[in-house]
Amino acid sequence: MEPMGRIDPSTLSVRDLPWQVLWNRETCTLCGKCTAVCPVQAVELAVHRKRVVTAAVGLAEKPSQAVGLYHGIRQRTDAAHACVGCGMCTLVCPNGAIAPAHSDEADKLRFHVQQGGEPRRRGGRRNDPRSLLDAIKFVRISMLTDPALDAGRHEFELRTLLGRILPPEEILKVTKENGWVPPVREIYPLVIGSMSFGALSPTMWEGLQMGVAYLNEELGMPVRICTGEGGCPPRLLRSRFLKYVILQIASGYFGWDEILHALPEMQEDPCAIEIKYGQGAKPGDGGLLMWYKVNRLIAAIRGVPAGVSLPSPPTHQTKYSIEEAVAKMIQSMAMAWGFRVPVYPKISATSTTLAVLNNLTRNPYAGGLAIDGEDGGTGAAYSVSMDHMGHPIASNVRDAYLNLVKVGKQNEIPIFAGGGVGKNGNLAANAAALIMLGASGVQTGKYLMQAAAGCLGSEHDRCNICNVGRCPKGITAQDPRLYRRLDPEKVAERLVDVFKGFDTELKKIVAPLGRSTSLPIGMSDAIGIADGHAAERLKIKYVV
Amino acid sequence: MNGANKPTLVIPGMEKGLRVDSRVLEERIQKAVADGHRSLEIIAQGQHGIGGRLWRAGNETVQIRVMGTSGQRLGAMGFPNTVIDCVGPASDDVGWLNAGARIVVRGNATNGAGNAMAQGQIYVAGDIGARGMTMTKHNPRFAPPELWVLGGVGDSFAEFMAGGHAVVCGHGVERERSTLGYRPCVGMVGGKIFFRGPCPGYSDTDAVLGAVDDEDWRWLTTGLKAFLAAIDRTGLYKTLTADRTQWQVLAARRPHEKHHGPSRSLPQFLREVWEAQLGAGGLIGDLTDLDRSPVDVIPTGDLRRFVPVWENEKYLPPCQAHCPSGIPVQKRWALIREGNLSEAVDLALKYTPFPATVCGHLCPNLCMQHCTRQTANLPAVDVTLLGRASLEAVPPEPDRPTGKKIAVIGGGPAGLSVAWQLRLMGHEPVIHETGPRLGGKITETIPTSRIPDDVLDHELARVEGLIHHVRKPVTRKGFDELKKKYDFIVVAAGARKPRMIDVPGRERAEAALDFLRRSKAGKARVGRTVVVIGAGNVGCDAAAEVARLGAESITLIDIQAPASFGKEREHAEAAGAKFLWPRFTKTMTKDAVELTTGEVLPAETVIVAVGDQPELGFLPEGVARERGFVAVDARGRTSDPQVFAVGDAVRPGLLTEAIGAGRTAARAIDALIRGREETFDQLPPIESERVKHVYFNAGADGFASVTACAASCASCGACRDCGLCEQICPEGAIARRDPGDGTFAYEADAARCIGCGFCAGACPTGVWRLAENDPLE
Repeated sequence: MEPMGRIDPSTLSVRDLPWQVLWNRETCTLCGKCTAVCPVQAVELAVHRKRVVTAAVGLAEKPSQAVGLYHGIRQRTDAAHACVGCGMCTLVCPNGAIAPAHSDEADKLRFHVQQGGEPRRRGGRRNDPRSLLDAIKFVRISMLTDPALDAGRHEFELRTLLGRILPPEEILKVTKENGWVPPVREIYPLVIGSMSFGALSPTMWEGLQMGVAYLNEELGMPVRICTGEGGCPPRLLRSRFLKYVILQIASGYFGWDEILHALPEMQEDPCAIEIKYGQGAKPGDGGLLMWYKVNRLIAAIRGVPAGVSLPSPPTHQTKYSIEEAVAKMIQSMAMAWGFRVPVYPKISATSTTLAVLNNLTRNPYAGGLAIDGEDGGTGAAYSVSMDHMGHPIASNVRDAYLNLVKVGKQNEIPIFAGGGVGKNGNLAANAAALIMLGASGVQTGKYLMQAAAGCLGSEHDRCNICNVGRCPKGITAQDPRLYRRLDPEKVAERLVDVFKGFDTELKKIVAPLGRSTSLPIGMSDAIGIADGHAAERLKIKYVV
Repeated sequence: MNGANKPTLVIPGMEKGLRVDSRVLEERIQKAVADGHRSLEIIAQGQHGIGGRLWRAGNETVQIRVMGTSGQRLGAMGFPNTVIDCVGPASDDVGWLNAGARIVVRGNATNGAGNAMAQGQIYVAGDIGARGMTMTKHNPRFAPPELWVLGGVGDSFAEFMAGGHAVVCGHGVERERSTLGYRPCVGMVGGKIFFRGPCPGYSDTDAVLGAVDDEDWRWLTTGLKAFLAAIDRTGLYKTLTADRTQWQVLAARRPHEKHHGPSRSLPQFLREVWEAQLGAGGLIGDLTDLDRSPVDVIPTGDLRRFVPVWENEKYLPPCQAHCPSGIPVQKRWALIREGNLSEAVDLALKYTPFPATVCGHLCPNLCMQHCTRQTANLPAVDVTLLGRASLEAVPPEPDRPTGKKIAVIGGGPAGLSVAWQLRLMGHEPVIHETGPRLGGKITETIPTSRIPDDVLDHELARVEGLIHHVRKPVTRKGFDELKKKYDFIVVAAGARKPRMIDVPGRERAEAALDFLRRSKAGKARVGRTVVVIGAGNVGCDAAAEVARLGAESITLIDIQAPASFGKEREHAEAAGAKFLWPRFTKTMTKDAVELTTGEVLPAETVIVAVGDQPELGFLPEGVARERGFVAVDARGRTSDPQVFAVGDAVRPGLLTEAIGAGRTAARAIDALIRGREETFDQLPPIESERVKHVYFNAGADGFASVTACAASCASCGACRDCGLCEQICPEGAIARRDPGDGTFAYEADAARCIGCGFCAGACPTGVWRLAENDPLE
């Protein structure tokens, strides 16, 4: 039997990993909580040998040695058990004896993750903490020039419109002729972006829905939530809460027959239908829910048998051109609810956005466009897609808006922007910046996972294991042992806090601009940036 | 200066058809007061701030009567000595920052009445506009400010009101209109508002609505008299006080009384709205009955993600797993640790008739090669000591006789093993051996330097004491007779026919086995120079023997890197043998071996050791062969179901492999005889990573005795009953269970275990494993 001292090319030391687990033998009480809680079993109990050699001064006595043993926590170094830095060990440690620390240099693990030829996949985010949105300042503060509003005292109606808004002359004409007026929803400008039942745990999903219902019914805030592509629980489809829900259809079409079967029993129309063509986090890539995650519950909601893999291809199977994709899908979806529900496509931000947008302007049934930027999150994707594919949201939204201005339709087709909104915690400021760049509203997901459920992910590759179903907070896990860590009621409570806090912050931003009843959509004279190139590109003020 | 006697001074706001500037009017008013005038009549033309700041009069009251049109901020910054009587309406911000003046407005006042006032009274005989009584203060050094309005007030009344009293009588306000306007009291933090009439909404966050209590009523009615007197409407007193219930009071909430948001809490919402609409269990209550209630992050029982499993002897120790004879090496060490030395020694005879000869001397000890101690750079536990100690082993008592007879052709290691096992199983094996002694190549060809005669003789005697053998060669015809006479036949004839290389002069070379056989019998002589063709272990044995017999120059050549290893190789090297490869023999001359390289190796003696083949002439055609060897299945059975074959007749191999094959065949035959299904499945060996050698002393290991060996054995995969797991478990969940039948087990109590895996991490033998818990759905 060979000694274990041999190395192979992928033999790594703790030092080579992204995260080093710092363990303090002095304070550790060997309670076992860290090893019990670690989602990837990165730490384990190990036996260590300790040898002490004693020599007397002047060698007056014969030197001696004593060998002892002790038990302690050891970090494992193989790729499958590399610490992900979630810090659950620190959370449960009664003595503060253990904590992961991020390596101060680029790790070596990244060069060895493609064991078996499979490149790294993960969940989470782009792992780039830089944010252009954070750099945008609101520079137009009404002092004496026009009446400044008081965010605390004034009544605000911070609402936005989702759906095709006809210009006045047209709506007069249509009304006179008893024609069709496109449906328009007045909604809160911060929309909860699409996260599917399946990508999220049942507790997380229910918590978000419950919070949305509370915001609507108890606080009068018309907050809307998009289902993502994973169907919608039958009870929700048949409840009045459906009106707070944007149903998403994507290339996998999961759960849609269940939605159709619920049509005759629906008390309310859904808020809108989102047709997903792309996702900012992994543009051009599809999804695959592995068979072992498709438990009975997910299977029932998606309308598939349990235990089969569910692919969502990168593209829709029956669409071969923009005209066809947009026209065909929008018509079909609008028809399902008798043209009473706004329908809009969602694309990942791309240099071809304008082509899509121009097409939409010519389609009377298009209710808007959602654009998801490169900083969007995902439950599972190839790292290369997350890190290197995609377009920043700011310039994409700006181009789209200015293009609408050029064709005179900026008040007719709302643009919803998403992807990295609030990635560093500045949710309201980022949202307001996007609105002033031209978005009618914003979509957010990751921020809510962090704020409403305690997601541990960060832009520094912390945790990011949503794809393997071991979410230590139970947000993206389908294992009851994990998702029961998350109390839906508490998620709802946090969601309510987040929206109330966001609302106040948004007011603090728009009130000094003198806005209280209409969002400053495209009010780009109010924003500036200390980066000349960015200012020029975005056509906003360069301020230093 | 006492100015009370001076006549009322009229100050016009128009002069020569032009409006007097506010600055000029103010200068004139201040001058008049400074000159001792205490009664002024201002014919206002919209001038700003009339009547304020009249401190020059000291404590003397200054009466200001405002005729005409008052401008903004009438009485602004008014002093307590000032009484202003505005006979018409007033413009914005009447009484702004009032610090004590009494201001009477006989008409309406527009927006901002009383804004930021801190003391004094404002009496308005009509209505007021928006944002009245906003930002008012109550300085504890003075009486609170008061605003009395006979009619109603405009929107956003009392925003940020921080003190004072407002009284809104609602007189003459249309029924449908709110007395207090739209959304009063936003940001209100102090003071009270008495009002009469409807108020459909106010900032509930900041103010609380109540009825007028007795004390307030006294204050209100007293104040009302003064108010009505001041505006000459005393006649209304009765109407306004007729019904106290028409009055209500809005008081600022104190900080701790402030409340935000709706009345329903989320838990309430969940019960009263969410589940009421969706049904019990919420969103997915109809799809699953799984418990979804919150759990601890470190749970026990079913909720643990991982559970410890005590896998005692669920895997083979690698030593046993890799012993072709299947000897439970580790169990023997365990017996010694328990003090049962003789049992440990005797145990070997259940597996091999040659524990001392083979395990102790001749075996390359595959068990030691797979000892996990080597993964930690520790020497393998020395099994040869135990092997040699087995010389004294006592064979087990054979089973009850079955009367079944088995002919074993060949008395070498394989034949003796199969016969030994069959005998212990109660059958009657008969060995048919042509040679003078049993033992095959052990007795015939292996040099005495490797196996002392006394050891071999002792073990052969033990075998012979138990097994019957006949000295009789088996012929083709004899074989058929054996088939009739015996239930089974086992071919263990060995490989005794040397292979020869096809080169000129080959007839002068001697086959290694022949040479070794003659050498061992003391009949061999060799020259000074010897070439051994074939540098395998047999070649090495030959090299060692020719050295013993006096050869001075010994060269072993091979066509490839020599396959020899172990003691054979060591002995040859110790004898000074040279190894050359790759070399091909071209020809053998009278005194040399010529190679294809042109080298000429002097060789008085040439020995060829390129392998041997069995002589199978006695076997009928019906028994299949493969490349000159007998073809068998995994259990040693040939194509003739009655015939088995083992040992070198099947495949050249180690002694222990021959012994193991013999045991396998014996078990297969026994199973056939007894009609029982025997599986030869064996447990997989335990992964060496699970065994923790760190518990063993790296430096001080010496294998002086079998007890020292036994102590160093890590007991891979078999519980040592050390109790460490009980101690390391942080939850005290692990306990030793002893059912009293001599067995024991360690168990983790699910109710206490948190699945930390400490037991697995600490277990020296690798018995504990942390396994993923069964899925909950």
